[in-house]
Amino acid sequence: MKCLLIASESAEVLFYWTDPEFEQNIQEQYGASQEEGEKPPAFEDCINTLFAPIIISCSTMVDRLGDGYTSFSTENNHSYVLHQFEECLYIAVNGDGEEGEEDLRRKIYVMKKMIEVLFGVVTLSSPLLRKELRPQDTEQRTRLWKHLQSLLETYSRLKEQDQSFLVEAVERLIHPTLCEQCIEFLERSLVQQINSSVERAGEEVLHAFILVHTKLLAFYSSRNASTLTSSDLLALIIMVQNMYPSNIDLEDCAPEDVENTSAPDIFYTPEPSPTNRDSGTDGDSVSSGRYEESRPEEGSHGGRGTPIFQFVDPDIQMAEDSLQTLECPPHDPSTPSRVFLEVMLKEGCYPMMPHSMYCLPLWPGITLVLLTKIPKSNLAMSIYVFLEAFAKLEKRLSEGLEGSAARGQTSIQDLRNKLDKFIRAVGTVDIQTSALQSVWTEFKSRAFIRGGHGFNRGLVPWCRGMKTQLCGVYRQCFMAENGVGGGGPQRLSPSLQDRALIMVQEKLIDWKDFLLVKSRRNITMVSYLEEFPGLIHFIYIDRTAGQMIAPSLNITDRATSELGKGPLAHFIKGKIWGLVNTSRLYLQKGYSTVTLRDGDYFFCYFLWFENETGYKLEVKELPILPDDSAPIGMLAMDYYRKLLRYYSKNHQGEVVKCYELLTVHLGVIPVEYILQHCSQLARKLWEPSRIPLL
Amino acid sequence: MADNTVADSRYNYFFLYDGSKVKGEGDPTRAGICYFYPEETPLDKQELLCGQLAGVSRCVSELSSSPVRLLRLRRSKFAIRMKGDFLWALGCSVDIPDVSICNLLDQLINLFSFYNGPIRKSYQVHSLLIYIYIRCVQLHVMLSPHFSLMFFNRRFFLSINIPPSDLPCIQIYSQEDLAVRWARYLSHLQEGTTELHHIFSCLSTIDSTHIDPLLLLKAALILQACQRCPLVLAGCILFRGRVVSTQMSPDLTVKVMVHETETYNQDQRTNGLSSSSSSGSSLPSPVTFTTVFLTDPELHYLHSAPVDRTTRSQSTQSTPKEVNRPRKSRLLSRTLSDTPPSDPPEPDPARPAPLSLHCPSTPGSSTSDDLLFSPSLSFHTPPGPLSPSPSTVSPQISYHSLPNGKSSHEVEEGVTGGLHDQSLDSLEGGDSESGLIGVGPVQSCDIPHDLNRHNGDSMALDGEKAGALGFRGQNSPGCGRRRTGIVADEKEGHRGKVQLADTGDVPPAPCENSSGPPLTTMTLYQHRVRGLVLALLVEPHFHNDTAAVEEVYHSSLASLNGLEAHLRTTARGGAGPQGPYTFAHYDCIQNTLTTNLSGRPGGAQERSFVRATSLLHSHFSHTEALQEAIVRNAGAAVYATRSVAQETYFLQQGGALRNSGIPNHQDSAFSLPSKARHRLLKHGVNLL
Repeated sequence: MKCLLIASESAEVLFYWTDPEFEQNIQEQYGASQEEGEKPPAFEDCINTLFAPIIISCSTMVDRLGDGYTSFSTENNHSYVLHQFEECLYIAVNGDGEEGEEDLRRKIYVMKKMIEVLFGVVTLSSPLLRKELRPQDTEQRTRLWKHLQSLLETYSRLKEQDQSFLVEAVERLIHPTLCEQCIEFLERSLVQQINSSVERAGEEVLHAFILVHTKLLAFYSSRNASTLTSSDLLALIIMVQNMYPSNIDLEDCAPEDVENTSAPDIFYTPEPSPTNRDSGTDGDSVSSGRYEESRPEEGSHGGRGTPIFQFVDPDIQMAEDSLQTLECPPHDPSTPSRVFLEVMLKEGCYPMMPHSMYCLPLWPGITLVLLTKIPKSNLAMSIYVFLEAFAKLEKRLSEGLEGSAARGQTSIQDLRNKLDKFIRAVGTVDIQTSALQSVWTEFKSRAFIRGGHGFNRGLVPWCRGMKTQLCGVYRQCFMAENGVGGGGPQRLSPSLQDRALIMVQEKLIDWKDFLLVKSRRNITMVSYLEEFPGLIHFIYIDRTAGQMIAPSLNITDRATSELGKGPLAHFIKGKIWGLVNTSRLYLQKGYSTVTLRDGDYFFCYFLWFENETGYKLEVKELPILPDDSAPIGMLAMDYYRKLLRYYSKNHQGEVVKCYELLTVHLGVIPVEYILQHCSQLARKLWEPSRIPLL
Repeated sequence: MADNTVADSRYNYFFLYDGSKVKGEGDPTRAGICYFYPEETPLDKQELLCGQLAGVSRCVSELSSSPVRLLRLRRSKFAIRMKGDFLWALGCSVDIPDVSICNLLDQLINLFSFYNGPIRKSYQVHSLLIYIYIRCVQLHVMLSPHFSLMFFNRRFFLSINIPPSDLPCIQIYSQEDLAVRWARYLSHLQEGTTELHHIFSCLSTIDSTHIDPLLLLKAALILQACQRCPLVLAGCILFRGRVVSTQMSPDLTVKVMVHETETYNQDQRTNGLSSSSSSGSSLPSPVTFTTVFLTDPELHYLHSAPVDRTTRSQSTQSTPKEVNRPRKSRLLSRTLSDTPPSDPPEPDPARPAPLSLHCPSTPGSSTSDDLLFSPSLSFHTPPGPLSPSPSTVSPQISYHSLPNGKSSHEVEEGVTGGLHDQSLDSLEGGDSESGLIGVGPVQSCDIPHDLNRHNGDSMALDGEKAGALGFRGQNSPGCGRRRTGIVADEKEGHRGKVQLADTGDVPPAPCENSSGPPLTTMTLYQHRVRGLVLALLVEPHFHNDTAAVEEVYHSSLASLNGLEAHLRTTARGGAGPQGPYTFAHYDCIQNTLTTNLSGRPGGAQERSFVRATSLLHSHFSHTEALQEAIVRNAGAAVYATRSVAQETYFLQQGGALRNSGIPNHQDSAFSLPSKARHRLLKHGVNLL
């Protein structure tokens, strides 16, 4: 019983996602009110009708009371969470008890984040976003909604299965040597070659990284690129997982088909040497199992003459339907996805700048991702600057601060000159600017009459108009199917992509099997047991870098993990997931240390600050946030970035780092020992996170 | 009270909305608003809130096929109850935990039905009555056998006796009257002493650390003594709006307290403490009777309480009185006159019926036989006779070791300070020995009984339906009373007998309600001695059983006076010594709170303590396995622990904890559990 709905203020459904139970529930309800013989209405209409009163009441309350709904709960523990972003109302529903209000709120924010990554600055203009989310063409709409639905499902799956998505920090494969080699390879060979190639069609690789399932093996950013934020990186991993899902359950089924005699072996961290893997039979069987699982994607996206094709098997074709993967794959696999990511430059911060993302599947489960800067991306920056200027102006005018708006005369003159220049320049590159031109002319005639006396409240709608027009130009430049220039899609040439793929494959072929196993057993709890008796699990997070370390926790019915198998393992997993939620609840209210005795377990949560040399900084009163504030995490709204900014105010000129540690102990261990463990663990784990990312 | 200003901001809205009144397109929303608080809210805002919240609630409950429980907005939240077409909403600020606000709304609704019966009847009949009223006025007649109507001050009160048993019990008030009631209940719930009380929505009890435990014991004994009248189900003693001792479940005690608090406040306002306008009655006006409505679980709880009821009733009927009586009167000489043997003069054909009806299977029935043969025990077993706890030992000793009433009385003297022993003596002598019981004038304690008699026996008048109103009208005590009718007379054949017997033989009438739980009428007897109130839940016909009433009254009067005098002097003691720590100890079973936090808004640490407590309490309330927690921010660390029966919160005051937040086992925050264990021992909180 789950549902997520985006609606406009006029109760028009802009997007919905439901699970089968919810859909059935709605249809039953609707069926009851239908008369005999009538054809049941489209599901979209049902959902629209049923939610319309809520949506309308929500806007009535905001208009007349200045206070909107944030959540509902019913006696049978159904939860509804509502959040309004600009003119879009998001409603998330859960009726099976699997998600709490916090989870629903997070889902809403993640959905918004994904929409921002997909639509960029267009999201700043509600009318345009409405059109974008609900295309007139039914087929196009279905395709888009399917894509968004599948992204949402991928996110929900990762959040349920993957610790890194639970705590919203990137998990890296702990193998320093290989990691370094790969980074070097990416820098010296791959990125250099692509960026010096003539086939790159004006694009420039800024970031390149290799993912093994959801874990990061190596990440390289070119010198002149801004850092990729954790939020964006996590969102990109969701997109990659959506394209090439690695379904853990299926993987674990597979080894059974092949003779797998050495199952207990995978209990331990595998040897880091690839040669060992080559000789072992279990490595092969595990990896071949993986190939079978994600072959279908290869079938649809391959076409590159990579070695993967040797695994094609008729059975796989049948599996394709059952594996609800991307139902509307990009027509051409070499076409990049357009993504909008934050760019931090010396001049300032530009959110949602256009990039192209190329996902090159090396092998099932291992993906090379290239992020390129596309030509004319400086156009996006200019548009963003104008948008910001108009937004500021609008705010000042609507607050009745004409005076200060007028005081900003110089900057407005500046804006006028720049915008004039911009329109002329844009006009030369084949972009429709007539609408922008006419609104701008009108704006100028109203604003600059009588020596600037035109800056009053009456100008507010024109500011909005300008924003919409600018977003429209942006949309033309970066969203339209064929991009700018008309002559075929903008992209690195397919052959260049293929060469890159083969290069990396050659580099990693010997490590492939090792990596796939390693990604499942990144670090294991057994290696900590001797030193920390009674410790069941821990998660250590470096929030400054957005990275986490935790013993792997694969709960499937087949594989045995340190937690054992079956109900107990699921129970502990549930406890850990619960602990993370609880710790966030307390952090939201300003508590940075929490210990809990819960049944037979003892939980600890710590958050602290250090400077670069590891000196512990004194804790400060943390902000107390309202219940309906943005979820604490890094994916959707980067709480920790704000926290660090807030904390750094008193530590200027010093790099402040933020860490978190969560532990689960057996309850019988005396508390003094548990606390000792925690402090030792924090010391011990400090080192690995020093591995340079770049 | 003192917290009113704070309280006002706590609950910003409350309303009761009747969806059945707003069905058609053209129906105005205001037609459905039964009550809205604050009443001065502009009507269009009332309509906005009621309309929107009720609409959304209905829509959501249809989607989820379950009633809505909570609606949250950015700046406030509303606990919701939906029952049939009715919707209650209680709004508060977002700081109050969900679990607390939902509890409060339930309390409020239960309070209403406790004093007024089923909500549907209260409001539905209202419109019916207007019609009847108009007809009656037009016809200048009214005395049909089934309707009786009384006018007072342009409001009207009506009892209907409708023979079909589907409408056995109806109480009628005007809508303004009901509004007054809602307002009263609401203000009662807002008058918690501290914010912590609101978080736990617990009973406010007298601070037991500052008074002599003997006083508590004495209070318990008074209640036990009263229970010896078979018509008395259970009782509680309140002092200045706080519980001194109770035999009822916490829920029920809260309900009983509303009435008490209200009359207490009235008293204070009118400056007429226990006005002695006895007006010819044998009982002075501090005694009031109120009809109340109990739910089945409450009734069951009362009947299953370890009072040896079977013995009581048996002793009146089947045991040889010769055996019982002498010993009893000797033992009773303390506080209570001898009730049970009072049966002979009473017209008693139906009397055993309600009793056996109520306790056909008293759990103690097997033990009762034993007790029967050791009568010295039978009437003085404190609650829980089968497992006496240490605290109940002393009364037993004092009773049973003393062969006669005199020396027992000396014990009491020690307790009451001998202030009222004279009157006590005289009362004892007069009442219990002279056989006043049952022979006394057939005179009920409230005035309008003449009317009652004339109007027809089917109406039992509770002159003091609403104590507040009763006091308001005290200038004309004879007629300025609100009345209600308990109309439950199915045995009309008994009409014409002595008036008292007439209602006495009526079994408590269950008020069936199509949507709500069945309610049973009972009577709440309240006896006020200045700040002290004895409240007893009694069988409905107790009111008319003059003998029983007088017994209970006179036997408890002296003890109550004594208790009041003591409490009055000790309660002035003021706040006790405050340690360098703050704690709150919540007893989930008795629903009471012990804390050293003052009611006034305190410093940063106190606020921080309250915030942490509220967060931890709601965490406890939805995480069953959670036993202990320590939470810390930069300024304070709070330790919380809970068991099945209790929750304890502890904060060590002192300088800001200097720490980095990094795990460190030498951190002072982690020594809180042992500190709490030591410090709280002297507050009677055992965390070991």
